[in-house]
Amino acid sequence: MNRGTFLRLMPLGFALALGIQACDSTNASNASNKIILTGSSTVAPLASEIAKRYEKENPGIRVDVQSGGSSRGIADVRQQVADIGMVSRSLNDQETDLKAFPIAKDGIAMIVHKDNPVGQLTEEQVIGIYTDKINNWRQLGGQDAPITVVNKAEGRSTLELFLKHFKLESPKIKADVVIGDNEQGIKTVAGNPNSVGYVSVGTAASQVQNGGPIKLLPLNGVSASLETVKDETFPLSRSLTLITKGTPNESQQKFLDFAQSQQVHDIVEEQYFVPLS
Amino acid sequence: MSMRRNHLTEPLMAAVVWCTAGVVTLILVWLVGDLVWQGGGQVNWTFLTTSPEKAGVEGGIAPILVSTGLILTVCMAVATPLGLGTAILLTEFSSQAGPFGRAVRLSLDILAGVPSIVFGLFGNALFSKRLGLGFSILSGGLTLACMVLPILIRSVQEGLQAVPQDYRRSSAALGLSRTATLGTLILPAAMPGIMVGLLLGIGRAIAETAALIFTSGYVDRMPSSLFDSGRSLSIHIYDLATNIAGGEPHAYATALVLMGTLILINGGVSWLAHRFRQSRLQVI
Repeated sequence: MNRGTFLRLMPLGFALALGIQACDSTNASNASNKIILTGSSTVAPLASEIAKRYEKENPGIRVDVQSGGSSRGIADVRQQVADIGMVSRSLNDQETDLKAFPIAKDGIAMIVHKDNPVGQLTEEQVIGIYTDKINNWRQLGGQDAPITVVNKAEGRSTLELFLKHFKLESPKIKADVVIGDNEQGIKTVAGNPNSVGYVSVGTAASQVQNGGPIKLLPLNGVSASLETVKDETFPLSRSLTLITKGTPNESQQKFLDFAQSQQVHDIVEEQYFVPLS
Repeated sequence: MSMRRNHLTEPLMAAVVWCTAGVVTLILVWLVGDLVWQGGGQVNWTFLTTSPEKAGVEGGIAPILVSTGLILTVCMAVATPLGLGTAILLTEFSSQAGPFGRAVRLSLDILAGVPSIVFGLFGNALFSKRLGLGFSILSGGLTLACMVLPILIRSVQEGLQAVPQDYRRSSAALGLSRTATLGTLILPAAMPGIMVGLLLGIGRAIAETAALIFTSGYVDRMPSSLFDSGRSLSIHIYDLATNIAGGEPHAYATALVLMGTLILINGGVSWLAHRFRQSRLQVI
């Protein structure tokens, strides 16, 4: 090392950075052997595992799964940043420009702490709690304690589905805690005996199995479990869906077929979702 | 009178100072202890050398370790020369009090305080979309470089300013050029400051989640080039802890690995900086 090494290395660093950026255009990310998925964080781990198996069976093909939320999935597919989007619900009337490929089903259950004496909630009571008309567990037959309302963050499909089912509007909800992902919701409720929230049935059921201090409340008298989601008696359920803008190309179609096939049912169940029959 | 008050206040002050130092140490010990307690049993050679399975609940973290290493390498390889260069320009080759220097310092201080998610969105828009790098280790590393630069530049600047003016004057009196003075005298003498900058930068980069989720991405496959998407340790921890049922044990184990890596890197950088300073400045 002599005296000017540092100064001489600096332009080299610049050149390296620029050179790397310049050669990127040759590495187009949308090559036909690479499929990019973005969207729902609920679907991402499932899609990730499906992608791994697909890559194993189709050497040379790469399926990249990114996270970020359903809204992001839709936006990215529309802007053609991603080939396939992931949404944890069905498509609605404003999304007719997109094609839907459901891959699994999931329910959304109300959860409370295990020690909460309240055993079930009617729809009116849930609406009352989330609009702050009911704010003490005593009003529901529980202990004299204020209710901690756990709500999902804006842009999450679980929130949209919850609002739609209970015919609520987002601005009317008075939440004490706003959460992102399922596990976070479960941790929040597990850590606060006076809280109530809503999360994916499968994730919650697996937590109960593993001794987590929460319980799932029945909805309209139907117990919340993977079985009732499967036989479609549970009222608050959703499809985990892959979406494309327009007709997918051949390699995308092949992956979509694989993701909807029997070959991935074990992965779907492993991730605590219900396979489509 | 004042003597008696001193008798009281001196030990009191000492106690207060000892207490605060104790609390800080206790927090660190508690944190590391908790990680070791909950994650220690799971960290072994297999965990470090196998790929994640079942969304990370089983298997190991080998591809994630590699991705993290690559992201960090890209970040520091870009940020270090740019940061050193800017800091040297600002302290050695431009006036401290001038409007240019003041403007740059102000903007750096503002940039250093910008939340990382803003850098994430910026990186996603610039590197991933505009420059077409997509979700890749390169996008992530470059985004982190942007994020780390202000901290790095400001620390190096402080380090350079701490070098006594006498060094520069003596050197000029001996007829040495400014470049020679910089290389043989100022930079080695400013090494402690540079090292702090590097360590803060690495620390911020390796712990980053928000800036990476939209740039380097979520893919947990072993990366084969810098253009591949790669999940960092911090994103893996975040995903396991908040999104994956039953992911907690491996979240703890990964967090322990992250802490260990950070300690190793810090030790390594300190040692290198010490060596560099020693080899240049036998007299100091």
